[in-house]
Amino acid sequence: MTTQARRPQTPEQHNGDPVGPAQPAQPASVTRMPWWRELSALWAFGLREYRIWQSYRVNQALWIANLFVTTLLFFLLGQTSAGQAQHLLGPAYGTNYMSFIVVGITANVFINTNLSDPYIRIQRSYFNGTMDLFLLSPMSIYTPLLGLMTKSILDDYPRLFFTFGFGMLFFGATFNFAAWPLALAFTVLFLAAGFGLGMLSASSFYLLDIKKGTEPVQFVVQQLLATLLAGAYYPVSVLPKPLQWLACLIPHTYAFDALRRLLDPGAHLDSPVLPIQSALPDLSPLAVDGLALLILTAILLPLGVLAYGRGIERARRQGTLTRWQ
Amino acid sequence: MEQAGELACIERVSKIYPGVEASLRGTKLEWKGPALWGRNLVRAASLTSSKAPSVHALRDVSLSIAPGEIFGLVGPNGSGKTTLIKILAGLIRPTSGVGSVAGVSLEQPGEIRRRVSYVSTTGWMGLEWPLTAEENVRFFAALCGMPGALARARTEAALRDVDLWEDRHKYPSQLSNGMRQRVILARALLFHTPLVLLDEPTVGLDPLTVRAMLALLHRLCAERGQTILLTDHQASEMEQVANHIAVLADGEIALYGTPAQLRDSLRDVTVIEVHTEEMDLPTTPPPNFTLAVEHVDRPGALGVRSWRVHAWKSPDALDQTLTWLAQSEGRVIFVAERDPSLHDVLALPRAQIKEQRASLVGDQQATDHLVAGMATAQEVDA
Repeated sequence: MTTQARRPQTPEQHNGDPVGPAQPAQPASVTRMPWWRELSALWAFGLREYRIWQSYRVNQALWIANLFVTTLLFFLLGQTSAGQAQHLLGPAYGTNYMSFIVVGITANVFINTNLSDPYIRIQRSYFNGTMDLFLLSPMSIYTPLLGLMTKSILDDYPRLFFTFGFGMLFFGATFNFAAWPLALAFTVLFLAAGFGLGMLSASSFYLLDIKKGTEPVQFVVQQLLATLLAGAYYPVSVLPKPLQWLACLIPHTYAFDALRRLLDPGAHLDSPVLPIQSALPDLSPLAVDGLALLILTAILLPLGVLAYGRGIERARRQGTLTRWQ
Repeated sequence: MEQAGELACIERVSKIYPGVEASLRGTKLEWKGPALWGRNLVRAASLTSSKAPSVHALRDVSLSIAPGEIFGLVGPNGSGKTTLIKILAGLIRPTSGVGSVAGVSLEQPGEIRRRVSYVSTTGWMGLEWPLTAEENVRFFAALCGMPGALARARTEAALRDVDLWEDRHKYPSQLSNGMRQRVILARALLFHTPLVLLDEPTVGLDPLTVRAMLALLHRLCAERGQTILLTDHQASEMEQVANHIAVLADGEIALYGTPAQLRDSLRDVTVIEVHTEEMDLPTTPPPNFTLAVEHVDRPGALGVRSWRVHAWKSPDALDQTLTWLAQSEGRVIFVAERDPSLHDVLALPRAQIKEQRASLVGDQQATDHLVAGMATAQEVDA
């Protein structure tokens, strides 16, 4: 075979834009995909998840059944212990245990999605080979992480409305929605901190080579600390003092406390519950919650971004980025 | 680094994979839970390293690819083809060495990925099973930021190119292996990037489809001016389309050149095909002109074993081989001598030929010629 002289057409990048003239090979700042194209990639993930959800009709029915059963289960358990638990709520959270538990459950579902899902999604994509595809595309390494989470967000976030509605209609939970903008702000901060922890958790996949089994960040923070100490099902004040201080290390504690104060009509804004709130008498408990959440978010979110980026880079150097070598 | 007129150029690139520990294999104990976290945390902080032997996937590989050419990379399984192609795709970083792809340094994998299309059929890479063939291709176009209208048009063109337009609404589970492979290939055809990297695109395809696929690649290269690098462990197909071929063996480039140059480098080698009854090879060493003896797996041939003897050309090569085989218990059913094809290159690892060279005195000139064919890219280009 002879080498033919060919007249190349204008070569393109993946998105169809022309490739600029070849520059001398030297380290330079990497050009990123414009943000609107990252958004369109995210949109593609969303459409893909919707398409998958739509194609499994039995799954849709099971999803609704699961939503119904788990919510009902929590409420029935809550109602069973409402009598004994009511007196534990103290002046800060009013007297309605159903309202107390609804906020706890809902916020916990939210944070669980943001905290646990990044690792699970990365793990699944790695083992079924789709991670290769995502890392090959020119989008940012964080876009697939967010995109892969759309499934869980679509699955879990609607539970918010379901749980609130169910609690109010059938179990006598009452809420004060007057302060919803502030509640929304706290929720956003809480989710951002949770996503920071989620990225830390996801980074352990590549950074610590935890490919299977229990993932440490998720296990320690969500399953151990948050479940026991954050006060999803009971107020933090029932715990021994050292554990109350330990509870102050995770964002869950502040979010649960703040959201209850804002949404429970019987709650008091000025009665401290957490030891850190008592230690800072000049600040209102809600201000302490907001400040603590801000600080934790400011630490956890960049830390998560950094750790995940380091993890990917480490895997790129070691050659363990994709499953198929 | 990059020479003028080269689309990709790498120099002395090596890749070492860290060793994978067998853990406490053989016992029921394994690193789990906090013990595993602690060990890996210490390792990630570079305080300790794995004691398992590391894997040297590539050793000082240098090559250059000219714009608009089809470059073939062949080698047996585990020779380092996929590692090399992933380095060129910006998916993994080399342990050492320098280079550039489409004008971008290997130090900028993110930028390389914008200028390179990479397709691997290993493990059905990236095929979304709940999406149809068309949705799979469209999804990848969207991930790469291709505008909707362009993505629609390109998806149709790519699926037509791989002859899957009629089956576009089928799910991967409804497609044959070959068709799934074509869906993956269609994804690479979406983009008119300067370099297209195809890792074993013809594995598992029937000969007619392979021929059609190679013809398609040839056409794309000619029409779009795209440079194509494809790997395979069969050299015979590569011979049809590639302008240059590099043969990888044990992470090193064993041979490099145009198909004609490679064939020419084998002009002093002969291949003797032998079919025998069920028998083992003699325990005595083969005649000293023998380069390699490989067992050829022929499924379905019950009671028959096939061998391929690669040897320096000599008037009595056939006779001496038969005499050697006769030392073993069993009957030779069939024997034939033929000229080597490019596929036979893979049976001749460089190290073995070097060893052979040392033991051969009379055939020094022929050995020199063959070893000269194993020069690296730069030597040949020079």
